[in-house]
Amino acid sequence: MELYITKNEKATGKIIALDDMILTKDYPTAAGSKMLDGYMSLFNAEVVDRLTNGGYSIGGKAKVGELCIDLLGETSYFGAIERNDGTLITASSEIVKIGEALAAIGLDANGTSRRAAALNGQICVKPTYGTVSRFGTISIACSGEAVSVTANTVDAVKEVLDVIVGHDDKDGTSLSEEKCALLKSNAEFSPAKKIAIAKSITDSAEDSVKSKIEEVKSVLEANGIEVCEIDDSVLSVAKSAWNILMSAELCNNVSRYDGVKYGYRTPNYTTIDELYTNSRTEAFGELLKTAILFGSETLSTDNYMKMYDKGLRIRRIIVEKFAEIFESFDAVLLPASAKNAYTKADTDANKYIAYDENLYTAPASITGLPAVVAGGVQFIGKAFSENTLLDIASKLEGVGK
Amino acid sequence: MDREILRRLEKLNQLQLTEQEKEAFLAFYAKQENEMDVLNSINTDETERMVHVMPILTVVREDKVIKKYSREDLQKGAPETTEGYWQVPRLVE
Repeated sequence: MELYITKNEKATGKIIALDDMILTKDYPTAAGSKMLDGYMSLFNAEVVDRLTNGGYSIGGKAKVGELCIDLLGETSYFGAIERNDGTLITASSEIVKIGEALAAIGLDANGTSRRAAALNGQICVKPTYGTVSRFGTISIACSGEAVSVTANTVDAVKEVLDVIVGHDDKDGTSLSEEKCALLKSNAEFSPAKKIAIAKSITDSAEDSVKSKIEEVKSVLEANGIEVCEIDDSVLSVAKSAWNILMSAELCNNVSRYDGVKYGYRTPNYTTIDELYTNSRTEAFGELLKTAILFGSETLSTDNYMKMYDKGLRIRRIIVEKFAEIFESFDAVLLPASAKNAYTKADTDANKYIAYDENLYTAPASITGLPAVVAGGVQFIGKAFSENTLLDIASKLEGVGK
Repeated sequence: MDREILRRLEKLNQLQLTEQEKEAFLAFYAKQENEMDVLNSINTDETERMVHVMPILTVVREDKVIKKYSREDLQKGAPETTEGYWQVPRLVE
């Protein structure tokens, strides 16, 4: 079970593993795709420079599913990671789990980082949109994706988040230094007093996941936090809206892979159209092809208003619903996945399973709100409330492992 | 969604699906269409589109080169180049 695409055997001290979605000038970046196999970037992602300047050592590039849109890396051109018991896990989560890195940096493009951390009993933060630079990350769903941090402890997540958070001129969606500073571990915050359970989303998960939620609820209550259920029917439509927006943005973002300027080029062509079509057809996997075609259709003249435009309006409705919830609650508690473990049989039986699992991860993706995974479950908070969420997480260390 | 629309989509996106992939796509698409019914049950007539989740306006900066890369470096990853140009098949007969 090879976890790395490239491992830095010389890494010492505080080691950070990078998902192979993060560009590095010293190691190739393939993003799990045949299209980018062997691709060398001319520059480092901003997060990589911040980490190395901060004294951290890059442990290597961890395998990811093709462009990180799948469930748990099962679509990687370089092979999925299956543990001895047959369960799937992402490489970066496993590298941290076995202690080869202090933390993993990922691109939470479609919920994979959070899902893996929940299954592996780890802490993961998907920070507020715009607080960590996306410069040098492979673009997938630009309006909602975020750089994530996964570690075995809350302290490690906080330490690494402190290093990578901050304004970056090179990222047009980067927020001001003042806003970014709200995430720093020394910033003032209010501990959570009241947490809402997203009822229908939780009810749709398997019993094993529901009992995790119950366990977490009782620990939180024992810590003096009030936990109650809310009607979350509006939040549950985030999935369908996000599936549209994510696919549409993905479709545009991957149009750059054409076999001309870099990446894979087919040997089978005579005309330019054959070059484009055969390069993309031979290099892309089935889930990616499906996502591209679906995204393209949502942007077509016939469907733009019905699908893409509708998705953008639903996004506002969900943002407003969260704002309403946060008038009375400090965080929303929900599962990060429908099951406690997945095998290759699950992803073979439903190749598009990630689209279904977005029920749990899309609410934070589509709104750009921060999400923290701890105790095997997920918490979503208001923008810049990472410290509140991580404080909740600190009460759950040891739960859900 | 029918096979003709799918054929146009494939052409537009420079992709070709196998027969099996086409079947799977059509089933996938039908499922997504069903989910549209849920979205359509929510009235959004009075709701503005939300393109950016953060109040960020178009960010502009002075139009100057900050970091320069050589043509050689930029073409290092190219599948095929000729005399400093990307090589593609003849476009015009």
